[in-house]
Amino acid sequence: MRLPAGVGGLLPALTLIGLFFVVPVLALLLRSVTDPAPGLQNYAALLGDGTYARVFFNTFLVAFVVTIVTVLVAFPVAWMLAIMPPALASILFGIIILSMWTNLLTRTYAWMVLLQRTGVINRALIATGITDQPLPLINNLTGVTIGMVYIMLPFMILPLVGTLRAIDPMTLRAAALCGASPLAAFRRILLPLSLPGIAAGGLMVFVMSLGYFVTPALLGGTSNMMLAEMIAQMIQSLLNWGLGSAAAFILLVVTMALYALQLRLVGSKRAAGGA
Amino acid sequence: MLLDYDRLGWLKVALLTFTALVAAFLLLPVIFIVLLSFGSSRWLAFPPPGWTLKWYQELFADPSWIEAALTSARIAALTALLAVAVGLLASFALVRGEFRGREILRGLLLTPMVLPVVVFAIAIYAFFLRLGLGGTTVGFVIAHTVLALPFAIIPIATALEGFDKSIEDAAIVCGASPLQAKLRITLPSIRIGIFSAAIFSFLASWDEVVVAIFMASPTLQTLPVKIWGSLRSDLTPVIAAASSLLVALTLALMVVTALLRRKLQT
Repeated sequence: MRLPAGVGGLLPALTLIGLFFVVPVLALLLRSVTDPAPGLQNYAALLGDGTYARVFFNTFLVAFVVTIVTVLVAFPVAWMLAIMPPALASILFGIIILSMWTNLLTRTYAWMVLLQRTGVINRALIATGITDQPLPLINNLTGVTIGMVYIMLPFMILPLVGTLRAIDPMTLRAAALCGASPLAAFRRILLPLSLPGIAAGGLMVFVMSLGYFVTPALLGGTSNMMLAEMIAQMIQSLLNWGLGSAAAFILLVVTMALYALQLRLVGSKRAAGGA
Repeated sequence: MLLDYDRLGWLKVALLTFTALVAAFLLLPVIFIVLLSFGSSRWLAFPPPGWTLKWYQELFADPSWIEAALTSARIAALTALLAVAVGLLASFALVRGEFRGREILRGLLLTPMVLPVVVFAIAIYAFFLRLGLGGTTVGFVIAHTVLALPFAIIPIATALEGFDKSIEDAAIVCGASPLQAKLRITLPSIRIGIFSAAIFSFLASWDEVVVAIFMASPTLQTLPVKIWGSLRSDLTPVIAAASSLLVALTLALMVVTALLRRKLQT
C-alpha cells in the first residue's frame, strides 16, 4: 500500500503525538471509569458532592470575571494600537511582548510580593489615604483576578488589533458625515464590527483561564480553589487517581467543547493562533 | 473618525492615558522584581533600606540553583531541536500534501496547545511511571516536545505558505535534485519561520511548570520547579535575583530576535 503523496513527513509528528499525547490521555480517561472499580462512581462522587461543586462553581466564576475584565481593559489598548503612529505602536508592542515572554513564575512572584498585606500597593493606598488599613488583595478572588488578567491581556490585545485594523475607517467617516455622534458611531459601527474579534479572544481567554494552574495556586486562597489545582492535589497528595482522572476528563470535555465553538466562530487557522 | 488617530480629539487623550496606564501595569512586575533583587531587605520591603548584591551572591553560592538552570537549558535546547525537526517535516506535509483529512491532522497536532496542561501533566506522569521515564531527561524532553510542537509548526507552516513554490520548481528545472532544491532554496527562504519556531519551542520548555512539577525527581529538577518550590516555602529575595536573571535572558532573546529578523529580512 502506498501512502498518499506528501503524507510521510507527518509520520514523526503523528507518532510523537499519538504515543505520548493521545495514548496517555485515553489511558487517563479509562482510569476514571475503572479506578478503583469499574463504573461511574467517580463522576457521581464529583458531581454529587458540595465541596467539589464549589470548586467547579469557583472555576467558572474566576474564568468569567477574568474574561470580562480582560476584554474591558484590552479593547481600548488594542484600539489605540491599531491606529497610533508606527513608532509609538512598536514601543507598546515591545512592552506587551516583554511581559508575555517574561517567565510566568517571575510575574506571579512579583504579584505575590506587590499584593501582600505589607506590599507596595497596600502601602501606597494607605499613604494616599484611599484606605486606612491594608486591603486583602491576595489569597482571594481579587488576587487571582489581578494576576490572571495580567497574564491574559496580551492574548486578548494582539488578536483584537488584527480585527480592528481590518475595519475600513471609511465606514466610520461615512457615519460621521451622516451626522452620527461619536458615541452612536462607536455603539452602532465600531463595536459591532469588532465583536467577532472580542468573542473569539474572550472565548480563548475563558478557556485558558478554566484550566489555569500556576497563578490561581499561588495568588488564590484555600477557600476559592480552582479545578486544575484540585486535580493536581488529588493526584499528587491524595493519590486518588480515579477521582483525579474523572475531574480531568470533565475539564477536558468542557475545554474541547468551548474550543470547538471558537473554531466555528473564527475558523481553524485563526483559532490556533495562525493569524 | 473613531479610527482616525489625528481626529479623535479629547477621546485620544483619554484613550492614550488609559493605554499608558495599561502599559505601566504590564511593565510594573518586571521592573519591580529587578529593583527588589538589589534591595537589602530580607522581608521584601519597598523601597528597600539599602542596595546590595548579596542575593546574587547567595544565588551563585548555591549549586542547586545553577544545576536547575543548566538542567532547564539542556532540556529546552533538546526540546527546541526535536520540535523544529519534527515540526519542519510535519509543516511540509501540512502545507504541501494533497490528502484527505489534512485539516483534521493539523488540528490533532495543535491540540496540545489548547488542552489544559494539568490534564496532559497527570496523563503523561501516569504513563511515564509505567515506562520508567519519570524524572529522566528523556521523559522531560518528550513531554516538552509534545507541548512545544504547535509552537514550532505554526511559524514554519506560515512561512512555508508564504513561500512561492515555483522558485523551488525552477531550481529543479535547472538541474537540482528535489532534496537539493529544498535544502538550498526553500529552507533558507523560510529561515525566519524556522528561527521563530526554535525560540518559541525553547521558551515553551524553559518556562514550563506544570508538567515539570509532576515529572521532577529529587535528582532532576528544572529551574521553574526550583522556583515553584521556593515560592511555596518562603518568599526569599534570592528568587528575585534568579527571576531578574530570567528577565535579562528574555530581554537578550528579544533583542537577538529583533536584530536577526532585521538582518534576515534585508
